[in-house]
Amino acid sequence: MNAQAISVQEFQARLQNLGKDVAPTDMPDDERVKRAKQAFMRKLDGRRAVDLDTCIHCGMCAEACPFYEATQNEKYAPVYKYRLLRRFYRREMSPMRWLYKPFTRDITADDLREWKHYVFDACTGCARCDMICPMGINVSTLIRVVREGIGAAGLMPDELVQLKQEQEDEDSFFGVDADRLQALVNQLAGDGTDVPLDKESADFMLLTTAAEVLLFPGALAANAKILNKAGVSWSLYSDAFEAANWGYIAGDTPMLQRTMKKLVAKASAVGIKTVIVPESGHGYHVIRWLGANAIKDDLPFDVLSMPEFIAEQLAEGRIALEEQSNGASVAYHDPCRLARKGGVMEEPRSILKSMGFDVRETHAHGRENYCCGGGCGEFALSSASELRQKAFEIKKHELDETGADQVVTGCASCRYNLMAGGEKSGWQMPINSLVETVAANLAD
Amino acid sequence: MENMTLLEFARGPGMQWALWIFCFGVLWRIVGAMYLLGTRDRSKHRRNHYVRDGFRAILTRSTPAEAFEEKIRFQHLTGYAWHIALFVSVLFFAPHILFFESILGFSWPHLPNTIILFSAAVATAMLIALLVRRATHPVQKLISNVDDYLSVVLVLLPLLTGIAAFAHVGARYETLFAIHLLSVELMLIWFPFGKLMHTMMTFPARYQAGTFFGHRGVKA
Repeated sequence: MNAQAISVQEFQARLQNLGKDVAPTDMPDDERVKRAKQAFMRKLDGRRAVDLDTCIHCGMCAEACPFYEATQNEKYAPVYKYRLLRRFYRREMSPMRWLYKPFTRDITADDLREWKHYVFDACTGCARCDMICPMGINVSTLIRVVREGIGAAGLMPDELVQLKQEQEDEDSFFGVDADRLQALVNQLAGDGTDVPLDKESADFMLLTTAAEVLLFPGALAANAKILNKAGVSWSLYSDAFEAANWGYIAGDTPMLQRTMKKLVAKASAVGIKTVIVPESGHGYHVIRWLGANAIKDDLPFDVLSMPEFIAEQLAEGRIALEEQSNGASVAYHDPCRLARKGGVMEEPRSILKSMGFDVRETHAHGRENYCCGGGCGEFALSSASELRQKAFEIKKHELDETGADQVVTGCASCRYNLMAGGEKSGWQMPINSLVETVAANLAD
Repeated sequence: MENMTLLEFARGPGMQWALWIFCFGVLWRIVGAMYLLGTRDRSKHRRNHYVRDGFRAILTRSTPAEAFEEKIRFQHLTGYAWHIALFVSVLFFAPHILFFESILGFSWPHLPNTIILFSAAVATAMLIALLVRRATHPVQKLISNVDDYLSVVLVLLPLLTGIAAFAHVGARYETLFAIHLLSVELMLIWFPFGKLMHTMMTFPARYQAGTFFGHRGVKA
C-alpha cells in the first residue's frame, strides 16, 4: 500500500467530496424538537443555569468572536448562538419558568435549522468568548450544548455525519485504517525511523491522527524520533491509534463516550501508564479533559500532549536540543483546545526558546489567541468555506504583524487550515510543526 | 391627607411587601438554579487551587485582558462609572444610611449632599448612555428583550425620583418622597424576576469560571 503523503490540495479535494452520499436524516419536525430538547436537558446543570441566569446581554462576547469581527454580522455574536438554549431554559427549566413560559417562544424545527449555521459554520468552539465575558460565563460550553441539540435533532452537517459514521462503523476515516498505518510505519522504518507497532506492553501509548498519516507523516516520524531518543518504552497500536474524536466534533456525546471507552480498554489491556496525544488540539482536549467524564471513571493512565512530554524529557535531561545559530524568528500559533482550553501554553514557547528561536508573540496570544478559523471540524465543512477564510485572515494579519520568519504550531488541524487559508490568499509564510522542529534539532 | 396616606403606604406595607418578595424571590431563584446540580469533573487537575482560582477570577474579570480592552472600552468604563456612582448615591446619602440603620442596626459615615447629587447625576447619565447603546448597537439591539429595557427603566426611576425629591422639583416633598419609595419598591419586586439578579449571580459565575479554567491550568 502506498503511504506517500498527500498535498494540501489533494486533501482539500477529498474534503469537497465528503458527505455527498449521506442521506438526510428523515424525521418529523416534532421529533427533531423533542430530541434537541432532550439533549439540552441532559446538559443543563447548576453551572449552566448560573451561566444562563447571569447573562446581562451586554454583547461583549461578540468582540471576542473572530466570525463576528470578520463579518460584523450580529447573528454571529456568541450570545445569540446560545439563544435557543436560553429560551429552552427559561421556558422549561428555570425556577422562574412559571413566569417566563408565556412570554418566551418555544423552539421550533426551523429554529434548529437556522441555528445550525451559527453553531457549526460560524463557531469553532475556540472559547475566546469565555475569556472576555465580564460575568465569567462559559459561553462556548453553552454554544456546544446547542450544537449537541442540533446534532441530536438529525441536523448536523453531512460532512460530520460521514466522518462520525466512518469512525464508528469502519474505525477509520479519510481512508486511514490499520493497513494504511502499517504501510506508513514500514515506510518510516525504511527511512530509518523505528515506530514500534502493537507491542504487547508499553509504558507510553502514542496516538496519531488520520490527518497526520495522510498530510503530515513527518509529524509521526518526529514523534517517534523524540520518543526513541528519550529511550522510553512506547508503542503505537493499529486498533487504537486515532486521537481525533468525531463524536465530540459532531456534538454526539454517546459516540464520544464509546470512542473513549474503546481507547481506555486498549490502553488498559496493554498496561499503558501514559497516553501521548500527538499534534491534535481537540484530541488532547477530549482525552485529557473530557475522557474521564465520558467513561464516568478515573482514567487508568496519565495524558500528555507532545509539548508536555518534550518539556518533561528536556527537564529530566533525557533529550537535549541543539541551538539555532542563525537567530531565526518564530511566531507560535496556540491551538485553542491545547492552550485556552487545555492549559498548554508555556511548554511550546520554552521548547522553542531552548532551540534558540526568537519567539515572537501575536498581539492576542495564549489564552486570548485567535483561532485559525478551522477548528472543531470547521475545516471539513463546505458551507463554512467563506467564513473560515475570513476568520483565517484575522489570524494571518496577527501572524504577519509579528514579522516572524515562520509560524510553528502544535495541531495538525490548525496547521492544515493555516496552509489551506494561506494558499487561497497567496500567503508565503512557512507553517511548521512543533514536533518536527524539535525532531530536526535533537542533539546526539 | 391623601398624600400622607400614600407616603404611609410606601413606608409601611409597601416596603415590607417589596422586601419580602425581594428576599423570597432571590432565594427561590438561587436555590432553583443550584437544584440542577452537576456531576463532578473527574479529569485529573493540572492545578489544585480551586478556591484561589475562583476568587482570583472574581477580581480579574473586573478588568478585561489587554487584547480585548480597546474593543470594549466604552462599556467597560461606562459600566464602572455607572456602578460606582450608583453605590455612592445609595450607600452614602445620609437619609439612606438612616434607613439602612433601621434595618441593620448600625450606620456609617455619609458623604456631602453635593457629592451624592453629582453621583446620582453621573449614574443617571451613564445608565441612559448604556440604554441608548442597547437600543442602537446591532448586537445589543438583536439580543435585548423586554427584561433588558424594563430593568433599566426600573433602576432609572428611583434615581430620577430621588433627584426630584432631593431638589423638591415637580410636587410637594411628601408626594415626591412617596413616589421615590414606591419606585424603589417596584425595583425590589422586579429584582428576582429579571436581569437585576445578575447582582447575586455574577460572583458565583465568575468563581465557577475561575475554578473551571484553573483546574486546567488556565488563568480565567
